[in-house]
Amino acid sequence: MGLGLLQGIVSVLVVLGLSPLFAGLVNKLKAILTGRIGAPLLQPYYEMQRLFRKETINAIGSSFISRISPLVNLVTMIIAAAMLPVGFWKPVISFDGDIILFAYILGLSRFFQILAAMDIGSSFEGMGAAREATFALFAEPIFFFSFGSISFISGYTSLYMILHSIQHQNISYEVFIVICSISVFMLAVTECSRMPVDDPNTHLELTMIHEVMILDNSGLDLFLYQYSGYIKLFIYAILEISFFYPFSGQGYLLGIIIFITGSLVLATALGVVETIASRYKMKNIPQYLLFATAIGILNLLIYTFTR
Amino acid sequence: MENVLSILFCLSLFYLSVTSRVKAYVTVLRVQGIILTILLVIPFLSHFSVYGIIIPATMLIVKVIYIPRYINKVILDLDIKRRIEPTIQQMVFLALVIATIVIIFFASQLLSKSTPLNVIPFASGFSAIAIGIYIIMFRKKLIVHVCGFLVLENGIFLFGTSVAFELPMLIELGTLLDVFVVVFLMGIALNRISSTFEGFEVAHLGRLKD
Repeated sequence: MGLGLLQGIVSVLVVLGLSPLFAGLVNKLKAILTGRIGAPLLQPYYEMQRLFRKETINAIGSSFISRISPLVNLVTMIIAAAMLPVGFWKPVISFDGDIILFAYILGLSRFFQILAAMDIGSSFEGMGAAREATFALFAEPIFFFSFGSISFISGYTSLYMILHSIQHQNISYEVFIVICSISVFMLAVTECSRMPVDDPNTHLELTMIHEVMILDNSGLDLFLYQYSGYIKLFIYAILEISFFYPFSGQGYLLGIIIFITGSLVLATALGVVETIASRYKMKNIPQYLLFATAIGILNLLIYTFTR
Repeated sequence: MENVLSILFCLSLFYLSVTSRVKAYVTVLRVQGIILTILLVIPFLSHFSVYGIIIPATMLIVKVIYIPRYINKVILDLDIKRRIEPTIQQMVFLALVIATIVIIFFASQLLSKSTPLNVIPFASGFSAIAIGIYIIMFRKKLIVHVCGFLVLENGIFLFGTSVAFELPMLIELGTLLDVFVVVFLMGIALNRISSTFEGFEVAHLGRLKD
């Protein structure tokens, strides 16, 4: 029990510590692929340090919602990180049915961010909040269809148990991994506002989705928002990697190796996609998300009928 | 293995319903041809026979190499624009496709209780037939109609392999010939239309007079 708790705490610390590095890695790879040298690998840490030292200024008309929202964001992200298995280590929070808690913890953070954006009263931020809410509506079924089908296969409803009970002898499991990781990748791209859906580097308010919501925050608030953004990206990366854990044959060392190589491969994939893909028109994004949902539905159908 | 290939086939159908390029349709046709060829080759890995390899070989030549190349040639020759020009929104089309596939899967599950069949290949083939018809219904371009017809034809093939493992060879060869003739005729028709009219949309055919 003591060892299990220690492992859980270490894995949360790993997620908290390495998430800016992952974001830095993606940015660096993207820069290299487009022929630039790019910012240093540790740039996110420097930026966070800079923001940490700055003064926080709140808009005059804002209420307590915009004060607590950044903190709520960070705390929900930490709770979500505490539910993920890193390598083969047992997470701190793990019980039957925690996939639903996981989805709605992330939903809670989004809810508070939307509220805070509307609280400030700027029209741009209201627009960004509306967009975020619309796309989140289409993004949620993707999570439930892909994780619902994997939970159907294994017969468990806890993230840790699901990933630990699946065997990969069956060829249909490999196909399942490929299909599921496509739809989870599309989900990650949407939730973390990366390239085909939202451009993290854009500076035109009319085209922004996620970035426009934190336009009026500064100092410590902005630090908290950015940090939770990095953690969110890493959380989705771990979710994607966790499909590949059954290949490790339940070995601790192999699990860690899969975790590290998986992160590197995923960072490269994100970099490549951001380099070659152009941004979709705003009206095409729901279609893109519905496509990912369709893949999830197909998964579920197949597993209902081959059982 | 058949299930895996059928899943890939279904994925290609989803891709067909979101893409808006004519070129992507041709690529998907090629991929579907490859999937069907592999599906036909698998039974011969265990007991090889020269006679049985004829259909997969014909399939490879006609569906993977010849027809896509011919369609590409038509696209190049007639200088067809790359947008497919749907008559309804792509999003609605995709929702329609999802609903259809779900209904078909459940229906074939019900069917499989009374007759022996492989549910997943059967349902995938059935969905391809439905989606081929949808493509013909909801697209304006003639060349896309040809692609829709070919998807329908692929669906019939998959459907056939799931019901009976050995269709009479003459029928299979017959279907291949059928498709070939249709594509050929379409090419000729498109060429004729191009010499008379500017566009290649079905809407223009409504105004055809002698």
